[in-house]
Amino acid sequence: MTARTQLNAAWRICYFNGLVPLGRQPLLTAAVFLTPFSFLFFLYVIAKPEFFPYGVVGGVLFTSLFTGNGMLNDCAYLRLERQLQPIFVASPVRPIAYLLGMALSELAFTIPALGLFLGILQLVHPLSAFSFLALLGVALVTWLMSTTLGFLISTFFRQLREIWPIGTLTFSTLSVLPPVFYPLSIIHAPYRWIAFLAPSTYSAVLADRAVGLSGAPDIAPGFLSDPFVELGVLVAITLLFALAAVYLARWREP
Amino acid sequence: MPVLEAEHVAKTYFGRRGEVRALDDVSLSIDKGRLFAFLGRNGAGKTTFIKIAATLLLPTAGVVRLFGEDVVRSPRAVRPHIAVVPQEGRPFFHLTPREHVEEYLRTRGASRESAVARSDEILHAMGLGPFADEPAFRLSGGVQQRTLVAMILATRAPFLFLDEPTLGMDPFARRQVWEVIRAATRGGSTVLLTTHYLDEAEQLSEELAVIEGGKLLYRGAAEQLKAKVGREVRLQFAGGFEDAELAPYGRVLHERDRTTLLTTRRAAAELTDRALGRGIAVSVGPVTLEEAFLELVGRGIEEDE
Repeated sequence: MTARTQLNAAWRICYFNGLVPLGRQPLLTAAVFLTPFSFLFFLYVIAKPEFFPYGVVGGVLFTSLFTGNGMLNDCAYLRLERQLQPIFVASPVRPIAYLLGMALSELAFTIPALGLFLGILQLVHPLSAFSFLALLGVALVTWLMSTTLGFLISTFFRQLREIWPIGTLTFSTLSVLPPVFYPLSIIHAPYRWIAFLAPSTYSAVLADRAVGLSGAPDIAPGFLSDPFVELGVLVAITLLFALAAVYLARWREP
Repeated sequence: MPVLEAEHVAKTYFGRRGEVRALDDVSLSIDKGRLFAFLGRNGAGKTTFIKIAATLLLPTAGVVRLFGEDVVRSPRAVRPHIAVVPQEGRPFFHLTPREHVEEYLRTRGASRESAVARSDEILHAMGLGPFADEPAFRLSGGVQQRTLVAMILATRAPFLFLDEPTLGMDPFARRQVWEVIRAATRGGSTVLLTTHYLDEAEQLSEELAVIEGGKLLYRGAAEQLKAKVGREVRLQFAGGFEDAELAPYGRVLHERDRTTLLTTRRAAAELTDRALGRGIAVSVGPVTLEEAFLELVGRGIEEDE
């Protein structure tokens, strides 16, 4: 199969694993935005009003990050419970086409939630076209990073019962503890470097900068306060995860 | 001409409870266009072999070549030529049988037109027409299984791996599937099938292999297996004989209130005379493949013990 037919395979997987279920059971999208929307509502009730836009941007990033959890769950479920992944392994479909198709199908589920958060953001913190596109770009890189990580992890599970704790632990650690829903400046300056151990912090800082919420340019420690460095690190981590997903994932059982 | 060649294939799983040898020095070959059945008890190693040959699992040792390509070293060269029905698979929750077949074919590179035409053909042949546009979650287990089998057989892949393809199907559905499998081999596909339905293996396969404890016990035709175990005749008695009296003549089995003896023609004649002399009802018939299988595997188990 050529690159074009592999891309077509990815699109077909996105269609039947994402768009068809979405059309037949639209309520499935509620599961995607329920958690970030709950966090946002919590922030709205208890936090200072100036933190609310951070929460909305956090909702956009959380939604992108949690596609990784959806990917991990779906891939492991289709492989272990439904035995459907082996049907694609024993076929001309390459792992990268399967990965892309599954990742796109996860993205399809998040589009209504992303639309909702972007709409709220436009109301509380109007964006220029450039800021809007920059935020969308960060969200897309974050989606790619988290879905490749989700796929990679999913291939190592041997039993269904491992999925829930590991998936929840991994993606909650990436999306709740780092400054996704709150400004980085809340963390005491000497400890901010710890936040940068999480890849999602780069997404959050870049997203906040893109929409003009980052505050002082030197809010991040040392060389990390340069947005190009932050972008470079985020892209490098995403490439690393993507390469690991292609070359280290267990497409065939050991 | 063999399209599948396996040489000294072994697979050992390493777990917390130690090593489990799932396959042990299995060698076999399958010719083009043949329907080859793999028989064995649960955990005998059938699925492990299929997974290795279908590029789903790495062996610990040995070589499997499909169409001349090593499945370990060149999986990409092998995969376009194969399709697999996995054991106990289940279809996508929201998709209909028609969508399963069409989408799988299109994912493998078929055009929309050919996928639609092939889908209509296979759904009709497998009796899935009335369910073709129902989402899978509304279908019975047997129809869901037929959907998976239809997806794979629709591919017309040169080599088809079918791991218990008729599991959970009613007798009518099983026969429809058999007919489509036969059509696949007539069309030039080679089929490797595992099943626990021995009548299915007898009906479908031209050649079979029996595996037990990861080792190949037998390879050949079904009739030859019956001859190999040395028990050609089945005698059934409704009481009147003690096991100790029958045991020297062959294998004694108990089913409900009946005693079955698998034995040779000569012993059958002698025992029939003896039974009639005692006024005991006896029925005589040829040994079935299932009985030959039980005999062969039973000996293997006894030897191990």
